[in-house]
Amino acid sequence: MRRTASITILALIGILLASMACAIIMGPASMSLGSLIALPNAWKIFWDVRLPRVIVAVLVGCALAVAGTAMQGLFRNSMADPYIIGTSSGGALGATLSIVFFAGTGRPVFAFIGATVATFTVYTIARQGGKVPVETLLLSGVALSMLLSAFLSFLMYTAGRSLHQIMFWLMGGFWNVSWDDVLIATLIPIGCLAIYFYARDMNIISLGEEDAIHLGVNVERLKQLLLFASAFLAGIAVSIAGAIGFIGLITPHVMRLIVGPDHRILLPAAALAGGILLLWSDTLTRTFAGDMPVGIITSCFGAPFFIYLLRSRMKA
Amino acid sequence: MKPVEVIGIDVSYGAKKILETISLHVEKGEILGIIGPNGAGKTTLIKAMSRIVAPENGEIHLNDRNLDSFSFRELAQKIAVVPQGFSISFDYTVRDVVMMGRHPYIGRLSSATPRDLEICDHVMRLANVTHLAASSVNEISGGERQRVLIARALAQEPRILLLDEATSNLDISHRIEILNIIRDLSTEVTVISVFHDLNLAAYYCDRLIMLKDRRVFAAGEPQDVLTQETIHAVYGIDVLVKTHPLTGKPYILPVYGHTPDRQPRRGVHVTCGGGTGSDLLYALHREGFRVSTGVLNLLDTDYATATALGIPCITEAPFAAISSDARAALRQRIDAAHAIIVTAMPIGPGNIENIRILKDYPDKPIILLCGGVSPSFEDHTGGEADAIIRELLGRGAVRAGRIDEVLRILKAMD
Repeated sequence: MRRTASITILALIGILLASMACAIIMGPASMSLGSLIALPNAWKIFWDVRLPRVIVAVLVGCALAVAGTAMQGLFRNSMADPYIIGTSSGGALGATLSIVFFAGTGRPVFAFIGATVATFTVYTIARQGGKVPVETLLLSGVALSMLLSAFLSFLMYTAGRSLHQIMFWLMGGFWNVSWDDVLIATLIPIGCLAIYFYARDMNIISLGEEDAIHLGVNVERLKQLLLFASAFLAGIAVSIAGAIGFIGLITPHVMRLIVGPDHRILLPAAALAGGILLLWSDTLTRTFAGDMPVGIITSCFGAPFFIYLLRSRMKA
Repeated sequence: MKPVEVIGIDVSYGAKKILETISLHVEKGEILGIIGPNGAGKTTLIKAMSRIVAPENGEIHLNDRNLDSFSFRELAQKIAVVPQGFSISFDYTVRDVVMMGRHPYIGRLSSATPRDLEICDHVMRLANVTHLAASSVNEISGGERQRVLIARALAQEPRILLLDEATSNLDISHRIEILNIIRDLSTEVTVISVFHDLNLAAYYCDRLIMLKDRRVFAAGEPQDVLTQETIHAVYGIDVLVKTHPLTGKPYILPVYGHTPDRQPRRGVHVTCGGGTGSDLLYALHREGFRVSTGVLNLLDTDYATATALGIPCITEAPFAAISSDARAALRQRIDAAHAIIVTAMPIGPGNIENIRILKDYPDKPIILLCGGVSPSFEDHTGGEADAIIRELLGRGAVRAGRIDEVLRILKAMD
């Protein structure tokens, strides 16, 4: 089992690298190694547009997938995801505030604060006697998201000139990505690594909080750390690429079927798969759908998947 | 230095008091049982000792060291808990779950050492789950899962093992299997366990703590704690406490009826023997009659029943005829009783006096409990017994075929 797991990880790394190469070549203006050297314009597209965009798409995919995996492990249920429990909405509201009032300055910080506050609020609402039941978690996530989107609508209504910018950004996409965003995105591996250090604790907390205490896990601290780190990852992802849904839901779920529930393997597998998934979603939309916001695509695939999960849970 | 010492702790959930001034201790290598009715606070006590809940007052010490001074990892190396069961949404294998017991020994950035794996294999053999190692914990039976939890707890190499009704959901054979595993460990490990089943507690525990209404009601060795009186006071039911013929430990038999709580009914004297009166004695006792019986010899089954129910009984040595003392006592009982019931017992020279005496009471209501149309007593007196019975019937004694008929007749007299 340990061997199949490492094979899966290696295979995912291979697929990721190949996908990145493909994604750089593919696009409305397709390019080859020859044209890169021959045409200065092609070099410019490669260096200023494609490369940062590919890197950021991969990292944002990683961030969302790892945040989703951490939340699913923490809440002991495979339906948690930063988008569904309101983290992304909080991040979006924070980012919008920065766009409206500060012309986008400090957007990552605002997004992170918004994401963290939303996450802890939902967690507090959903918690009943030390447990976080699925139903209340989803419902409080929905309720808080509604409230936040009301604030968001109000901001947009009063936003005036920046309305278009907010709208486009909210739909989630990478059309505007620059090397500055890559710089922000380098925080993502740090967050992922922080979560990975607690992979074994996450395995144990999925047995239940009391059992985890019996086995020597400082549960309260672990929960705060995981929530904080997931909100950090989701906040950065949102501040760069807007609200992209369902990557954090689908990836851990599928990877769990392939590599099993052990977070020491699941976390890296989900991170790689999340990167691959979002990279391809972005590459395909910008190549074939005229740079439509990628959030539309992921939600089109993600929402039916969520419904499928809900149905199979009801049967079980 | 005691492995665990609880000193006057109070525990509340919000405004609700769960435990009040609980003190207890356990000796090294001992099995201490915690018993008491639902809601008495047994589980909370286990939770306090494993630091899931914090007491408001009082302290808990492990080997003279305050429980609060341990880090989470340190504590998990000292104390392991076996819960009632667990539900898990992800498909971990049995081996994964048992390995989690090694968590407190493995550093954050290191992985399991060969020693960890060795211990894991060893405890899986002890708990008899080796063959399940690769199965998902969601696919095995309840008994197997419980054994997995025991293996996980043992993998922690604890000095103290806390069990919260760890065997309640299992059938009798699995219960005994698991408790035997735990008892065999108890030379090195000190065990504190919550029990619902008093007989298991009596057999496996060296000492018992009985909780009632948030407090310790009784503590000590099983035979001192498990008595008719304490069980009645704590659980509100009547039981018979016997000695288990093979283990010599107390054995509790419930008296399957509700406690007589109304006014005592009238006095009834039962003349019986050879086990013919046991059902009747129990029924009368349950219905709240003031019952007496005798004369019975000390080896008689009915005597054992009477003693167990606490019914006064006039006795005679085995194989002896009824003495004048016994006869005098019998007269007193008959005088005090409102009615006499005679069961269809075998009558011989040893006990004929029991019915012969009734000829002296022409006005006492007498009920003969015997099946069939004609009174069918086993007569070993060459006809005297039969003659007496006929005479009693001729004087107006009533015949009843079943116990409920007897009860109906008695109630009609009220």
